[in-house]
Amino acid sequence: MKTKDVVRAQVATFVVNGRTYEELVPPNMTLLELLRDRLGLTGTKRGCSGSGNCGACTVLLDGRPVLSCLTLALLARDREVLTVEGLSTPGGLHPLQQAFLEHGAVQCGFCTPGMLLSAKALLDSNPDPTPAEVRAALAGNLCRCTGYVKIVEAVLAAAAVMRGDAAHEDREQAGGCVSW
Amino acid sequence: MVEESRPFSSVGKRYPDVTGLAKVTGTARFISDLSLPGMLVGKVLHSPHAHARIRRIDTKRAEALPGVRAVVTHHDSPSKQYTGTLMNLQSYGGIEPWGVYDTRVLEDRVRYVGDAVAAVAADDEFTAEVALELIEVEYELLPAVFSESEAREPGAPSLHDRVLRRQEDGAPGDEGVDRNLAAHVCHRPIGDVDAGLREAHAVLEAVGFTAKQKQAPLETFHCVADWQHDGRLAIWTPTQLPYLFQRMIAYIFDLPVGMVRVRNEFTGGAFGAGLSVFREPVCALLAKKSGRPVKLAYSRQEEFVDRPTRACIGPYTFRMGVTKDGAITAVDRHAVSAAGAHIECAALTSLICEAAANPLYRRGSYRAEVDAVYTNKTPCGAMRGFGNPEDTFVREQVMDMAAEELGIDPVEFRLQNLCRVGDPGPFGPDFPIPSTGMADCLRIGAERIGWGSRRDGGTNGSRRRGLGVSCMAHQSGAWPVHVEHSNALIKFNQDGSLVLSVWPASMGTNAFTSLVQVAAETLGVPFDTIRVNWGDTDTTLYEIGSHASRTMYILGQAVERAAADAREKLLSRAADQLGVAAADLDIRDGVIFAPGLPDIEMTVAEMAKRAIYDLRDVEDIVGKASFTPVTSPPPYQALFAEVEVDVETGEVEVRKMVVVNDSGRSINPMIVEGQLEGGTAQGLGYALYEDPVLDTESGRMLADDFDTYKIPCTLDMPPLETILLEQPDPTGPYGAKGVGEPGCVNQAAAIANAVYDAVGVRIWSLPISPEKVVAALKATGPSPDGAAG
Repeated sequence: MKTKDVVRAQVATFVVNGRTYEELVPPNMTLLELLRDRLGLTGTKRGCSGSGNCGACTVLLDGRPVLSCLTLALLARDREVLTVEGLSTPGGLHPLQQAFLEHGAVQCGFCTPGMLLSAKALLDSNPDPTPAEVRAALAGNLCRCTGYVKIVEAVLAAAAVMRGDAAHEDREQAGGCVSW
Repeated sequence: MVEESRPFSSVGKRYPDVTGLAKVTGTARFISDLSLPGMLVGKVLHSPHAHARIRRIDTKRAEALPGVRAVVTHHDSPSKQYTGTLMNLQSYGGIEPWGVYDTRVLEDRVRYVGDAVAAVAADDEFTAEVALELIEVEYELLPAVFSESEAREPGAPSLHDRVLRRQEDGAPGDEGVDRNLAAHVCHRPIGDVDAGLREAHAVLEAVGFTAKQKQAPLETFHCVADWQHDGRLAIWTPTQLPYLFQRMIAYIFDLPVGMVRVRNEFTGGAFGAGLSVFREPVCALLAKKSGRPVKLAYSRQEEFVDRPTRACIGPYTFRMGVTKDGAITAVDRHAVSAAGAHIECAALTSLICEAAANPLYRRGSYRAEVDAVYTNKTPCGAMRGFGNPEDTFVREQVMDMAAEELGIDPVEFRLQNLCRVGDPGPFGPDFPIPSTGMADCLRIGAERIGWGSRRDGGTNGSRRRGLGVSCMAHQSGAWPVHVEHSNALIKFNQDGSLVLSVWPASMGTNAFTSLVQVAAETLGVPFDTIRVNWGDTDTTLYEIGSHASRTMYILGQAVERAAADAREKLLSRAADQLGVAAADLDIRDGVIFAPGLPDIEMTVAEMAKRAIYDLRDVEDIVGKASFTPVTSPPPYQALFAEVEVDVETGEVEVRKMVVVNDSGRSINPMIVEGQLEGGTAQGLGYALYEDPVLDTESGRMLADDFDTYKIPCTLDMPPLETILLEQPDPTGPYGAKGVGEPGCVNQAAAIANAVYDAVGVRIWSLPISPEKVVAALKATGPSPDGAAG
């Protein structure tokens, strides 16, 4: 940080995962830098070079998904930020987190935080998405490990749980695997 | 070891990944998240030139910048030559005929755009980046060469003067380089290839060119180096081969191996990128000079221009002779492998490329040669499949050409030539194939894709529909070509829970989970009572690591044996406590019991506690096993693709894929599916669009982020049916074979065959871009219905 940046820095309030932070923030600091380097919330990942091409840094700003590497921290001032660390509650995992585990949607795990938050934004606005709608909502989140099959399955399964559908079948029978 | 009659308690279950909870809650720590007290940020200065000598380098202004703690150049670098490719060290001698020691940590010469010139360690990233701009470098530009054929011509620019090659005694020795020939290697020929080709009814010939795919893990390269108070060098690295990495770092820095401590955190993908020492030594130099821990952090652009890619093979000349009734008389192959600026994996990958089909099709005779050639391009390292997708792309098209020539259905032609149990395996007749489900893979896949109706695919406006098939065989570890040694140690905690000490790569293959399932099954304890210790050469036993689809097959057997050892010791101690013979005891669901004797029972937890606190008999219960395999059973796979090709635009749309895979018994079917589905996405990108385009004037890589180098996203994935054959291999742990690499091997070939089926043109270079399809259609002239004109 250069001296002139410090001079122009502003004290700003952020609400991250329900907790209020007051921080001295230079004007060129990104939301990703604020979260990772200042607040120690390293669950939000950096996968490209601040170009918005990979989606790993996706967080929710007032409930809408944003690329935190392309969002200046001061734009999040006085607004609510949700990161992967705020997804679960003391009562347990968010249905999306649970479904990602049960459906094998996690391999290396580096895209997982951004993927979960894009999926949450979708389900909050569209509780009963079609597979095509899930794929469209996650198109900006790259994953190199899974081929997305189990990620899409997991989001659809979580949607069913969140709607309270009783009909989420037993994995052993519903899985994509056919044994011969 | 556990009788098959009893239903499995853990094996075969779709358990969630043991690392998953940390990953879905954002608490999983990756190297890019790591922070040590006093840690600095390291940045590398990359060459803007494809080939230059560094005449002068002045770091004074950079060093004077506040916050800069160290600047290193070739003046600080060890002069020793080494190679990044760690598989060289998978032997006693430490250098192989396909490996050349042609690399230094930093040199007074740069050989590709993006090569490392110098590096800075500073208080923060911003300061480090400003400091890079203050380093003054005077380059003497040298002529550069980007084509392998030009590089072999007399008078071409020479990349390397002297390198170290394997000598007769197995040690490295100094040699010159003949016109950029990094290495010439070959397989021992089998049979008389010339006679086989002469006597064939037909000889099919093709020349293929593959693409320099990027592994593109979502986490870019990060490492941390820290010289400890006792003079030891600790390095956190995304390596897949930790103990070979330890040996190579010790070699580079002239340290006893024990003075290097290799550490690991979760790795955000590797796909082969972790098989080489990369810029970790630069980080170690910065840490040494600054006296502080340093984290070297690569941007996505740096990852693209500097980190070694998949091997790039071409021209790959492939000739195959067949008899009138469809037997293969001979296969003759020659590969030119684009090494780039250093040999890295170029020659080894091509050797594997040419051996990939050994356990797949029977052949009368066989010959294969490789020339790996230096040019001023980013080196070719390792990527998943390691030569197999390259060979398969060409071989499986030639198989279709032969079937057409002979008037045999492509599936029938393949079925007719498949290797059987007892035929020579991946590494020759001394290691026969113990199991194969290849024929079933083909038959089931053909049925699921609707192969019988393939010629009725039809048209849809300017689009033509086609079906294609490809088969592959791979390996389960590289034994006996390499040392393939794994260790596992399992200990009981005082509450009866366990810690399994192993070190498969932490790159996201979910191998930790499958290994825990094997241990839980063998011991008779619940899956969720076992945790994994990994990531530190001080606290784990020697391990080769994860490559060559070895982890489940080889480390899995080490774990099975370590768990059996622990079980035996546990039961022997319990027998004393319970007053019965150990042979009469069994363990199920964490309870030790004597079948038929209802009063004899004790929990594993109780026994573990007594092992420590019962003063009559104190000794912690620990199971351990060292394991080296005696064979390498090939996993098999058939992939069927349905495509639509637009004859006006050349666009290829994959409409459906069916993958039928034989990796023996799945320890965890969900994980096996995940490997195959993820591999399919990588293979799809490789087939259709992944191509880091090089500016052949400057040598600059034009694709350097995900907007210019596309990897598949959710919208690119076609409907995919993944079928697991589940035929146990007689040699594997609970019948498992390798599964890491088969996923990405077949796509390019199956799609190329489907394109031919749709529009009658063969594409021999990857990726199968619309431009190439249109050009091929134009070259063949208008199609009968005029649509392609």
